[in-house]
Amino acid sequence: MEINSNVKSRLQFPAFYLFFIMYGAQTGVGIMGVPKYIFKEAKQDSWISILLAYILLITIVSVMLVILKQYENADIFGIQVDIFGKWIGKLFGTIYILYFFFTLLSILLNYIEVIKVYLFPTISSFSMGLLFIILIIYCVLGGIRTIVGLTFFFVILSSWILFPLYDPITRMDWDHFVPMFHATVPELLKGTKATTYSITGFELLFVIYPFIQNKEKIKLPLFLGLGYTIISILIVTVISIGYFSPLDLADIDWATLNLFKNVSYSFIERLDNLIIFEWMMVILPNLVLHMWGMTYGMKRLYKISQKTTLYTASIITLIFISFIKHDKDVTMLTDSIAQIGFWLLFVYPLILLPIVLVKKKMRRPRAEVKK
Amino acid sequence: MRKRFRSNKQSDNVFPIAIDELKQLVQDNFPNNPDLAFSIYHHNGKKMAVFFISYMVENDKIEKYILGPSLTMEKEWSTQTLLNEIPLSVGKTSTSIEDVLYGLLLGKVFIYIEQEKEIIEYILLNKEKRSLEKAETESLVLGPKIAFTESLITNLNIIRWRIRSTDLVLEEIMVGKSIKREVRMIYMKSIANETDVNTMRQRLLDLDVDEVEDSAVLSQYIEDSSSNLFPQFDTTELPDRFTYAITKGKVGLLLENSPSGIIAPASLFSFLESTEDLYMRWQTGSFLRLARFLAMFFSMIVTPTYVAVITYHFEIIPTQLLLSVGESRASVPFPPLIEALLIEFMLELLREAGARLPTKVGQTMGIVGGIVIGQAAVQAGITSNILIIVAAMSSLASFTAPSYLLGTTVRLIRFPLILLSGILGFIGLMFGICLLIIHLLRLTSLGTPYLAPLYPLSLQDFNNVFYRLPFNMENNRAKFNRPKDLVRYSAKEARKKQDIDE
Repeated sequence: MEINSNVKSRLQFPAFYLFFIMYGAQTGVGIMGVPKYIFKEAKQDSWISILLAYILLITIVSVMLVILKQYENADIFGIQVDIFGKWIGKLFGTIYILYFFFTLLSILLNYIEVIKVYLFPTISSFSMGLLFIILIIYCVLGGIRTIVGLTFFFVILSSWILFPLYDPITRMDWDHFVPMFHATVPELLKGTKATTYSITGFELLFVIYPFIQNKEKIKLPLFLGLGYTIISILIVTVISIGYFSPLDLADIDWATLNLFKNVSYSFIERLDNLIIFEWMMVILPNLVLHMWGMTYGMKRLYKISQKTTLYTASIITLIFISFIKHDKDVTMLTDSIAQIGFWLLFVYPLILLPIVLVKKKMRRPRAEVKK
Repeated sequence: MRKRFRSNKQSDNVFPIAIDELKQLVQDNFPNNPDLAFSIYHHNGKKMAVFFISYMVENDKIEKYILGPSLTMEKEWSTQTLLNEIPLSVGKTSTSIEDVLYGLLLGKVFIYIEQEKEIIEYILLNKEKRSLEKAETESLVLGPKIAFTESLITNLNIIRWRIRSTDLVLEEIMVGKSIKREVRMIYMKSIANETDVNTMRQRLLDLDVDEVEDSAVLSQYIEDSSSNLFPQFDTTELPDRFTYAITKGKVGLLLENSPSGIIAPASLFSFLESTEDLYMRWQTGSFLRLARFLAMFFSMIVTPTYVAVITYHFEIIPTQLLLSVGESRASVPFPPLIEALLIEFMLELLREAGARLPTKVGQTMGIVGGIVIGQAAVQAGITSNILIIVAAMSSLASFTAPSYLLGTTVRLIRFPLILLSGILGFIGLMFGICLLIIHLLRLTSLGTPYLAPLYPLSLQDFNNVFYRLPFNMENNRAKFNRPKDLVRYSAKEARKKQDIDE
């Protein structure tokens, strides 16, 4: 297996689209319910936790960039094989692919659950899953260009969702934020950890990096994209804290969706219903990017054609969706994905970095000796 | 292929030949053809044959300029003297019998003097055609009204007069294996993108079909993907629209016997452009263009939204409106899905009948249909008032597309969307819209992305696609056409301001 992936230049896209890819990959079902989880840990100081999460995010992504820059044009699959050897490297690569798969599954399951709870209690999970799988397959078959295009379009088309929030803002009670700086440091950090599930998705940078045309301009769109995600989470959490009573918020699943309940206009009532459908556009980039990461990873690691992986993974996803029925199981799956994600995405790169650097140091003298 | 080549070579060596033999040869190749005029003349001991297909040529000219001078001439007949004496400018000599036989079909007149090595040909074609008329399918309020006709020569004439530049290339390519037809590929040499021109030429040359019926058929043969809904090449009958696209660096195709030209590459948005936007003031032009975009979107989603809302999501309708909707639907026995499909189908029928019927009857049909659908359908309790308004709105909106092809596509898309909304409510509608967007993202036209300049995003190309800036700010050609020469004029000079009293 080659460590560097030689991507054809016609498949590459400008770094500018990373803004949309990052936001599209990070924002999904997590943001629908995140205020509750952060609030449980950090109470009225949740906003500090989120800012801390941004610092953490920037650190991790910078570490990832440093790792990627040690190679010419490699992705995580190639790097791991280079560092740990063929067997362990492929094993780690497979873990990434499995992580992508279960993330995709948990996103789908969570969204279907929202649909069931809010709108159609009797709709079958299978048919909902099928709709999404058709969209995913059709999009991934179009290749990376279509996927980036979809992410770009849907991020723009769904960006209006935040605007109706001006209504809950006018009804907020700012007293809910005092006393400020009340939470202890461990509580804040726990809040940060609760945020992590909603900001996963940036790991796709590890996979998509070789496809970027102008890598020298990567930083601005990348960090702006991450910033946009954090700002959305921040807005939603701050409004939730002010809007709901502190006693209730800890019990409200999908607090974000409930914020829209009171928004109504003379020509449209119950905007929240529309928002839930519009959320389809929010999660689709998420699903498509993860599916693509999976298929591309399988091609890199085992030389299995992307179409085979695409169809197989789709069928397995459908089977899982039809069998996981109880919200208890969905929550369990999401929690464990969040746990694994924390270790895999936030801790593992920090371990990988010194190894990559040491290995590079060791290799350089040897290469010079050879000359 | 090789066999054919050899036979070609053999037949090249027919001349010199006796006139009787030549007559036999020609008649063998046109069996049972009473229109083949083959006459033999004698003069000073020389024999001359003149032959042509009578209705393909201008008979007056033959008598006046070929037979007259040659029969009265003093000198001895030979190929050279005849070419010299006959007062027509298009004389040529030929030695191949294949050319002769094919030339007869093109309206050529052949003169052969016995035992000469060459045959003389004059092109005197007489092609029946209609005169130039006003555009029928794409009508304009402002601007030139002239439309292409079926005659390629006339169309080329119009284009040459519109673009009087040596830069304009009108490349000739023959398509069709058994019935050949002439296609002209038209582009500006110094502006059009080389790759586009080559791709287009290659596609035309590679075309392996018996015949091409019309330019609409040709565009389907050479488009990027035939399995999708949207037209990938723009077809137009307006010379001004055609030449406008060519001067902007696109490639145009004109097919013999077809009154519409093809423009490539096209994007989704180029189907919504009308040259009229240019003739208007820029504010109005921009407004109308944006209105057309909204109309397309509206046309697609407004009826499906009605179906979804009334079937599953009536809670999003405000109470006041819900009351009147409920009132108007109270007497309707069908579910909204059937109701909407019925009305939409009826509207489609009305449109189709209007297009097929002769003009005079067509108008009556429209009025009758309008009254039946509008008033009687509601009173009979088949549909609700509100749906009539919604359906009329969506069908009106679909007619605003300057391109008839896109308009029909939009109307077609509505039906699956209505079905999806009727079955799954807003989930189905969202699914349909997402699928449509993915579909559009995957499309290309001559290798150019279909959604350009939106994706890949190029902000400076938004001008002239989504809105129109005043002319002094349009100093660049659109980048997504990848023209060789991007700059139209220097922006600096255009921006130069004059002082007072200068």
